[in-house]
Amino acid sequence: MILFWQNPLYQRELLDRLRSGKTLAAILAVAIISSGLVLLRWPSDNTVDVISQGAMLVFRPLAFALTLAVMMLVPAFPATSLVAERKKGTLTLLLNSPTTPWKIYLGKLLSNVTLSFILISVSMPALAACFAMGGVSVKDHLGPLAIVLVVMAVQYSAIGLWISVRSASSDASLRWTYAAVLALTVLSLGPIVLTGDIAGVYATVARWMTASSPMSALFQITGYEAVAASIGIRTGWFEFCILNAIVTAALAIVTVRKLDPVLLDRARPTGKVVGVTTKKSILRRIAYLVDPNSRKSGIPFWLNPIMVKEFRTRKFGRLHWLIRLVAICAIISLMLTVLAAVGATGWGVDKIAGPMVLMQVALMLLVGPSLGANLIASEVESGGWQILRSTPISPIRVMIGKVMSVVWTMLLVLLATIPGYAVMSFIQPAMSGQVGNVIISLLVAVAMVVSISACVSSFARATAAATASAYGTLLTIFAGTLLVWLARGRPFGPIFIERVLTFNPAAAALSEMNSPGFELYNLTPAAWWVGGGISLGCMLILSVRLWRMTKPD
Amino acid sequence: MTSSDEIVVQTENLTKRYGEFTALEDLSIHVKRGEILGFIGPNGAGKTTTIKVLVGLSKPTSGRATIAGVDCSQQSGKIKHLVGYMPDRFGSYDNMRVREYLDFFAAVFGIYGKKRTQRIEEVLEVTNSGYMQDKFVESLSHGMQQRVGIARTLLHDPQVLILDEPANGLDPKARIEMREILLRLATEGKTLIVTSHILPELARICDTVAIITGGKLKAFGELDEVMRQLCPVRSYEVELVDSQDLERAADLIGETIERDKVTLSPQEYVLRFPTSNTEEELAAVLQKLVQSEISVTQFREVAGDLEDAFLSVAAG
Repeated sequence: MILFWQNPLYQRELLDRLRSGKTLAAILAVAIISSGLVLLRWPSDNTVDVISQGAMLVFRPLAFALTLAVMMLVPAFPATSLVAERKKGTLTLLLNSPTTPWKIYLGKLLSNVTLSFILISVSMPALAACFAMGGVSVKDHLGPLAIVLVVMAVQYSAIGLWISVRSASSDASLRWTYAAVLALTVLSLGPIVLTGDIAGVYATVARWMTASSPMSALFQITGYEAVAASIGIRTGWFEFCILNAIVTAALAIVTVRKLDPVLLDRARPTGKVVGVTTKKSILRRIAYLVDPNSRKSGIPFWLNPIMVKEFRTRKFGRLHWLIRLVAICAIISLMLTVLAAVGATGWGVDKIAGPMVLMQVALMLLVGPSLGANLIASEVESGGWQILRSTPISPIRVMIGKVMSVVWTMLLVLLATIPGYAVMSFIQPAMSGQVGNVIISLLVAVAMVVSISACVSSFARATAAATASAYGTLLTIFAGTLLVWLARGRPFGPIFIERVLTFNPAAAALSEMNSPGFELYNLTPAAWWVGGGISLGCMLILSVRLWRMTKPD
Repeated sequence: MTSSDEIVVQTENLTKRYGEFTALEDLSIHVKRGEILGFIGPNGAGKTTTIKVLVGLSKPTSGRATIAGVDCSQQSGKIKHLVGYMPDRFGSYDNMRVREYLDFFAAVFGIYGKKRTQRIEEVLEVTNSGYMQDKFVESLSHGMQQRVGIARTLLHDPQVLILDEPANGLDPKARIEMREILLRLATEGKTLIVTSHILPELARICDTVAIITGGKLKAFGELDEVMRQLCPVRSYEVELVDSQDLERAADLIGETIERDKVTLSPQEYVLRFPTSNTEEELAAVLQKLVQSEISVTQFREVAGDLEDAFLSVAAG
């Protein structure tokens, strides 16, 4: 039996990553952010803080910043790892060598975990400073935080590898991995937050779902148990570790089972010969409303061909899928309406609105960057851009077609939750103005997500890089500004916090709904102008980029 | 191939520099309507750079390129209607069937309504791709993708087709099919510029060839003429009915060609010799053999193919 560091795959993967400039940049970024946070919040009044408030004020944003860093940086590599090996043909070579699938898997997983460990380690001096200030203990704070971060790193690596072994392309794998991470972090809190304490099986399931989110662990470690309990979260870091260890072990088993040459031998989809009169075609029409195997009519003159192409080339962009998605959105919408009605009458509109806004923004961040980042980079990567350049279509038409294909999808996601707000306005008519402002803020969020992702996409040559960059940029804007908000009190005053939050339309929506912690800030309409300005700026940059990309070299 | 005297594609002293690197230097070629130009060169010779200038995707540093009188860099919008361009990468889209793929590009070219349906049918027929119209593009074999690629370039009925390495990676059967399609297009009056590394393939379809290395044009002209220029000594092969006549035949040939250069292959009943003599002088040799009652079954030139010409140019 060889030790894991003697595994040649582990050594190769780790060395490759350590030699990369991107890894160095990531390590430096974590080091600078963590030490910067400590420096900014270091007490300057020469008094010993016996009730530990000072240390906790430093520790809290640091803990959330490290969690965000792990969320952003850890999944990227494993998400592309196995799919890239398969595309290059090196996976076949590995599987034909005496190396066992477990060795391949562990080599990849542990190299990523080691690197994550290095990333987390660079924040040690900052965490030690919190300890030195007094009031932050190893047993209750630093130890659990380190364990939670390592468990997150292992789990995200396992998720990345699991998705990677099943995906057809690096960008699709990256997209689904980030979506899974976001879903685990935010959407897993949804059921308990929206329904509160309901006894029975459902409550148990909802409770364990919250345990899968690192937020539940962080609330406990950073002393926000009361806040967590107020929205129904009663699990802590221990449950988080137990649940995720089980999930990670299960993912490892299914991933290793997939690492088999026979299972990798997939038939290429060849398409089916269409028939409009057969029994099967009639059944298909009943099942899908739009027969997926029928020959499609041409793109009509009144539709932008680029937009139609974007929809058609997406896995879920085909009409029969869109109909299903609309149906799912309608069901979710109805459920949310019921929940909003129950919640608003039971707990009050202000309490139900905050989680709803957060869920919506999480959903937008889950869907938007993956679609937006694909727009230009995938076209360049596939060689389609070269062909489009040799056609007479104008850059502005290309831009409109591509951007609108994402805008329509995002609006569909947004529309699913609108009836919930209508119910709130009905129950508390005085709030209809605020509800309107929330919807405007969410529309601004949509504009920002689409325009920033598309803009990032126009600068990347590979879709995977574009997707990772888009997620990184948007998470920085939407979650990073909330980190600054978490550090309110010291050193950041309310004016500074308000200015930072104007960059986040989700914060504007939360302040409109007087969600706890946001009541003090008056973010509208400034946040709309800022968000609109950023979106406009990004669209301008995108149009200039596209214009330049279509011009002769 | 039906070529006319009308020049459709022309480059004059075309030069392209990237900083200090010269990708293309003083390239002057022309292609007549209905002609197939074989554009030959090793990797990095400047073929793709030339093609990019011709399709309006790159601006030359100096010199000029025109297609049907339209300047390729000044009027790149017009060029897009005149040229059908197939790059060396197919540029496939996921989840798209062949017909949808063609429909999309037809829409991009502004072809709508019945005309589009009709045009798609036509290009599918020309490229023998009708049977694969419902298949997903990404699931096609390389040969099938190349045919769909040609169908796409034909959608807007361009005067000139520029195909970058269309036979690259194709199996022999697919190569034959590709050759047939290209010849059919030339017969229909299209002007074709085809680059390839598979040189014998080009020798079978090209009217003219341009050989380029290091960005410089090394040879340009009609195929036979270029081969004669580059390979002045041709190889001939004479096959007899009776191997016992080989020595006598070699002596007779030796009266015109140096006897030492004639090699015999008794097993094949064949003798071979290199020659720079004219066609008339060689005809006289054949006549001499026949008059000497030597039974000749074949008297032919062993084709000095493009590969030889290319290698002789590449060798300097």
